[in-house]
Amino acid sequence: MSASAELRCGTCAAAIAPEDRFCEQCGAPAVATDPAQGGCVSCGAPGAAVGEDGYCTVCGVLRRPAAERAELDLVVAAAVTDQGRVHRRNEDAFDLQLVADRGVVAVVCDGISSASAGDTAAQAAASAAGAVLAEAIGDPARDPSDATVAAIGAAHDAVAQVPWTTRVDRAVPSCTLVSALWRGSELVVGWIGDSRAYYWLEGGQCRRLTVDDSWAEEQVAEGLLSREEAARDRRFHSITHWVGADAPDRPPRVVALTPEAPGRLVLCTDGLWNYAPTAEELGALIEALPAGAGPAAVARSLTETALARGGRDNITVAVVDIDPEREP
Amino acid sequence: MTTFTAEAYQNEYLPLGGSEVNVVVTVTATGDAVAGERPAAAEIVIVDASGSMEVPRGKIEAARQATAAAIDCIRDGVEFGVIAGRESARALYPRRGGLVTASDRTRAEAKQEVARLDAGGGTAIGAWLRRAGEMFATAPEGVHHAIVLTDGENYSETDADFRAALTEVEGRFQCDCRGVGTDWKVDELRRVASTLLGSVDIIKDPSEMPADFRAMMEAAMGKATREVWIRLWTPQGATVKLVRQVSPAIEELTHRGVPVNDLTADYPTGSWGTEARDYHVCISVNPRGIGDEMLAGRLSLVEGEQVHSQALIKAIWTDDEQLSTRISREVARATGQVELADAIQDGLKARKAGDEATATFRLGRAVQLAAEGGNDATMKLLEAVVDIDDPATGTVRLRSHVADIDEMALDTRSTKTVRVAPAEPAEPA
Repeated sequence: MSASAELRCGTCAAAIAPEDRFCEQCGAPAVATDPAQGGCVSCGAPGAAVGEDGYCTVCGVLRRPAAERAELDLVVAAAVTDQGRVHRRNEDAFDLQLVADRGVVAVVCDGISSASAGDTAAQAAASAAGAVLAEAIGDPARDPSDATVAAIGAAHDAVAQVPWTTRVDRAVPSCTLVSALWRGSELVVGWIGDSRAYYWLEGGQCRRLTVDDSWAEEQVAEGLLSREEAARDRRFHSITHWVGADAPDRPPRVVALTPEAPGRLVLCTDGLWNYAPTAEELGALIEALPAGAGPAAVARSLTETALARGGRDNITVAVVDIDPEREP
Repeated sequence: MTTFTAEAYQNEYLPLGGSEVNVVVTVTATGDAVAGERPAAAEIVIVDASGSMEVPRGKIEAARQATAAAIDCIRDGVEFGVIAGRESARALYPRRGGLVTASDRTRAEAKQEVARLDAGGGTAIGAWLRRAGEMFATAPEGVHHAIVLTDGENYSETDADFRAALTEVEGRFQCDCRGVGTDWKVDELRRVASTLLGSVDIIKDPSEMPADFRAMMEAAMGKATREVWIRLWTPQGATVKLVRQVSPAIEELTHRGVPVNDLTADYPTGSWGTEARDYHVCISVNPRGIGDEMLAGRLSLVEGEQVHSQALIKAIWTDDEQLSTRISREVARATGQVELADAIQDGLKARKAGDEATATFRLGRAVQLAAEGGNDATMKLLEAVVDIDDPATGTVRLRSHVADIDEMALDTRSTKTVRVAPAEPAEPA
């Protein structure tokens, strides 16, 4: 990453180019201060002006610690997880693996923040599921859908092992999970909770593959509320199924597809889809990117959009380029 | 050695676009002042010796006793003097003017002069304060404190003279004011006390005078610091909308800031004994984005070159309404106490002007606020002015006969506030 990519707008945190005088995202005056130099990203005061307590002695704005962020770029697939602008830690996790000459495994998990050790749970679930799926990819006899159910079962077991401290009003460690296994003409997606998978076809069509295990989706499915009505309810974000020791005894949901044209698979947590709730909106964001943008550029750009629009939650995005004509 | 602690009580969460940051900062001064560490001190007692002090007969005698009681409390080594106030200020002790060092001998001499104090002539408080200012100028730097006792309206000088004198002596000494009887003007003495960072009170009965003077002088002798300033840093683009002492009494300091640099100003608080005071500060900042945190102010205590303690005033923008709509208990209380004082002063003014409807409404509101805020002493004073039907709703009836002294006591003490133990400062989630 070049040094210029480190520059961020002090107002909305969007990336800014060194030559920009105003932030492209929010229009605030762009101040070209490299946070690595310790200067104030908000008013441009030099590093010496930022006090030991992190507050700028000129404009008072707190220097934000480098957000907890991880990126993985495997060329045909990439993932980004970012703490966001509000939460004090990142409780999302991903597992992304390229199994040589065979396929791609991607898992995205969102630790439930009202539960204990949400971050550890998400990490444990993503790794456990990822390991089972990677092993299954190498076995041509193994049915990918069965493997997906087995992988999510392994995630359950792993989360149940997460040590935690009892706290009032805190549930046992738990998380959501969405997984993808791509092997040639087979693409299988499995999920529990409200992390989502989308399939975007070159040319613009974008389709959601998952149905949230959420109060809102259930209300809509049963015809009790419209999507708009459900969105206004405070229970909108309540999930009805999760990965964890106290989860309801129901199997995960699995969909199998046979992609026929090149496209992109996007797995994400609600930290992204809250800011692009429909498949059309997400598709438009991907469509707007330059033609040459690879999975890493797409994942970063979607993350930046979520940050620029508020970044209220942790954001995790995994993008896999799918080309049925070409093995990964 | 006096140590200061400053603690901020606030809801630091603002909604998107919110710009006003309110905070109550409690400043506590603790520590034993060992004799050798005390700052140098100078004391002047200014006692009204105008003709009105002869009526009733006992008043001048009470004033003599009170002044003598105050003199007895002056510590050895303190520079002191006594002024007899008439249409001009006469040095009662030492007669040559200036100040003398307190000792058994000088205290006895001073009391002999005070015993011979007689009444006659007018009242010119501005001239008295000017004279005190000149006398303090001869004393070494340190705690300079005066007590003013008067019983009458300031009629021997123009209002312009009075104001000019106040401006001249502002910052040169601190002054506690006491009015005796009902002929003095609450507004006049309040202005003196506010300008000179002191207290104002009414002495309802001359017999209370010696005890009150003794208490005032003991408090003055307990001052363990030199002049202390509140130093308030605010970020670029911010505006200080309010700096107000809200406990133990309401004092506006907003317009008394002395700029230190572009972002910092000092506000006077006088010298401190072992005590706690609360300050309500309101700062308007440029709103920022959701999730941003800003230091909206840094309040520290400054004594000479020494910066004592500091409290951080923060702003965090959130779209969680549960966080941003919470009102800090301390800030709400500070606002309530000020509203109570305003309601009393408005109500009494309306009553004097014959506007019974406004008087009933405002004094009713005062009763309601005093009940809510647990201002029992104020409630007692209100009871002398109105008959209370229901304190919860503020339903009151004006009393037809109200003693002047009761009305003045209520007015004088309307700015006194009560403290509650502050809540634990909220930890950010």
